[in-house]
Amino acid sequence: MHGKLFLKIFGSYLVIAAIAIGVVGFLVGNQIREKLDRQIEAELFAYARIVELAPVREVAQRAEEIARITLARVTVIDRDGTVIAETDRDALAIGSHFDRPEIQEARVRGKGTAVRYSQTVGEEMKYVALPIRKGDQIAGYIRLARPLVEVRRSVEAFTGILLRSFLVILALSVAAALFFSRRLTAPIREMERFTERLRRGEAPGTLLIRTPDEIGLLAENINYIVEELQKRIDALQEEKAKVEAAFSSAMDGVLLLGIDGKIETLNQGMRSLIGERYGEIAGKTPLEAFRNLDLQKALDQHRASGRPVSQEIVFGEEPPHVFDVAISGVRGVSGSEGKTLLVFHDVTRLKKLERMRVDFVANVTHEIKTPLTAILGFVETLQEGAIEDRETARKFLGTIARHAERLNRLVEDLLTISNIELGEMRFCFESVALSGIVQSVMHILHVKAQEKRIDLAAEIPDGLPPIRADRDRLSQILINVLDNAVKFTPEGGRVRLSAAAAGDEVLLRIADTGIGVPRDEIGRLGERFYRVDKTRSRELGGTGLGLSIVKHLMAAHRGRMEIESQLGRGTTVSLYFPVFRDTSA
Amino acid sequence: MEEVKRTSQHYEMELQSIKQNLLYLGALTEHAIENVLASLLDRKSDLARTVIDGDAEIDRLDTEIEEQCIRLLALRQPIARDLRFITTAIKINGHLERIGDMAVNIAERVLALNEEPQLKPYIDLPRMAEIAREMIRGSLDAFVREDCQLANSIRRKDAEIDTLNEQIFRELLTFMLEDARTIHRALLIMQVSKNLERIADHAKGIADMVVYMVTGINVRHQWPGETPDDVCDTKRQQP
Repeated sequence: MHGKLFLKIFGSYLVIAAIAIGVVGFLVGNQIREKLDRQIEAELFAYARIVELAPVREVAQRAEEIARITLARVTVIDRDGTVIAETDRDALAIGSHFDRPEIQEARVRGKGTAVRYSQTVGEEMKYVALPIRKGDQIAGYIRLARPLVEVRRSVEAFTGILLRSFLVILALSVAAALFFSRRLTAPIREMERFTERLRRGEAPGTLLIRTPDEIGLLAENINYIVEELQKRIDALQEEKAKVEAAFSSAMDGVLLLGIDGKIETLNQGMRSLIGERYGEIAGKTPLEAFRNLDLQKALDQHRASGRPVSQEIVFGEEPPHVFDVAISGVRGVSGSEGKTLLVFHDVTRLKKLERMRVDFVANVTHEIKTPLTAILGFVETLQEGAIEDRETARKFLGTIARHAERLNRLVEDLLTISNIELGEMRFCFESVALSGIVQSVMHILHVKAQEKRIDLAAEIPDGLPPIRADRDRLSQILINVLDNAVKFTPEGGRVRLSAAAAGDEVLLRIADTGIGVPRDEIGRLGERFYRVDKTRSRELGGTGLGLSIVKHLMAAHRGRMEIESQLGRGTTVSLYFPVFRDTSA
Repeated sequence: MEEVKRTSQHYEMELQSIKQNLLYLGALTEHAIENVLASLLDRKSDLARTVIDGDAEIDRLDTEIEEQCIRLLALRQPIARDLRFITTAIKINGHLERIGDMAVNIAERVLALNEEPQLKPYIDLPRMAEIAREMIRGSLDAFVREDCQLANSIRRKDAEIDTLNEQIFRELLTFMLEDARTIHRALLIMQVSKNLERIADHAKGIADMVVYMVTGINVRHQWPGETPDDVCDTKRQQP
């Protein structure tokens, strides 16, 4: 870089210097040559003119003398061109000189000059010839010749001066070129290093070139561009990070299909939604990956219509997952035209809830309809005349009352649940000592237990910490659980209520020797209207909501319920209540 | 150069299209089996009818795939691996189409069965149908992934289906011996079972073809048990 620029500058200096010296040399050299030439010519003519009018013979005789005076070679030729005298001995043998151009010129014009290279002298010679007249007649010619050594020497000397000055210029231009190329390349080299750092992706910093010329402006522009670039890169990276974060942390699964219909990218959400079941799906078509007919049909539909398609699709066999799949084309992003975006939203839970809601309505309707049908049936029979028979009428009215009571209980239970769920039930939590509540509850259930000859007893140890509870709700919980226990325990069985402190909680345990619950159905006991044995429960006057209410109330108390059971041997319900802590103190 | 590249790209796309169509056909047949089983278990004659109607699409796709394959054979003269792929595709296509027809056969029997009270709770039939479905799915998975090991393991499942078929046959025989009124229904169920068994055979046929496609070794007429375990290892020796 440095060398090249130096050579360029140096070279241009050199060319300019050479041209200048060449032109000067040519012009001045010519001038010198011409001037000397003319001087010699004039001198020779002047000498020649002296002898112009002398008789030829005399001139010829005194040729040597003339030659000595004029420092020239003298040749005297007669009218026909025969050499009469010649001071240069070597040339004596030469014959007629008549055809020489200077002689011819002298004959025609009165004087003649010529420059010729003389073999004998080995030098350029200047020839000057004049006719020697005798009256009007030309009697002969005198020719003076002098070598142009002087001219050559002068020109040579001049050329030498030129060459020396050229050498000086050469040295000067090397220095100047070095200086200017340094000065020019230093900032350029700095810019080069700067852009190199930029290319390697390192932080380039700022260019520190503050000159008012073009290079300074260039450096300023580069600084500006780099700054702008950095800003844009930062902004883009931030944008990209945002998109990536959204893409990868979205709970919904996202698939991007390429133009060839193969899966290009999928996010973490998608991986966790589908699990390991399908293996690696990237690079496959959805059909290859999932082999799902509905998904393929939805994709085909999207491809045919070009409009977004949203559809619920069931995936996998065990357990089935329901996804709400939204298929849309990718638009407005260059390089992504023709790609397809699939968003999978897991609606399995939603579907289950929907199902539960539908089931609930069906259940409620059924529960209400059963007593209503009975009531309507008996009322109809009474209307048709049974009312006349007092005994039957009384029996019927009793049945109607019982069914109406059940309806009432059902509605009350439903209201309780609905209130808890809506959060409209007011709880008044306070410090409650278990023993008092248990006593009153036992009192209520005592009669019912005695009817079935069930041994019902409570064992509450002294010194139990008070629990945090709402008095009324607590007795409702206990009544519901104990009522269940009594209900599902055959005659002569036993129901025990015991209590114990367990860390931060107080454990109330209600154990019976009843019919028990199958192991795999224990989990469903808290569901609304769930009954292990439907007909039997209804015979016993249950609404199917008792345990569901208990579950809800326990949750409101920040406690929990656990159920253990063995079919045919009995059930144990464990209720955990938090110990009361005096927060006001 | 450009022309050659485009041509080969187009060729690649056509091969891909055959693959996709086969998978779609496979999904259709799987769906048909699923529906026909549901129609049997839940006694839903509507579902059985949709299966019978759905066969038209299976037939259409069957024709399309066959035409695609023949066009490719005629125009491109594929060699080596591609040739094996296309011939395999043609055979798999035939198998899938037959499976579709058998689903229709079963659907027709189910319609007749649903006219009468249920003879007995179905226990082995759903298992057979499930295995048959798994075999179709697995053999097509093996086809997609060119997975010879998987194909080989699918081939071995055929034995389970055969056992179940025999079991059902014996059970129904006792029904028929005890009460002549059950003969009609028992025969229908037997045909359902027989068709499921045939479906599994076709699935095994697909798996056979996959082994052939990957290794070049023909295992069609071998008992799955007879095939050496290392049949798939020859893949490495293939050029």
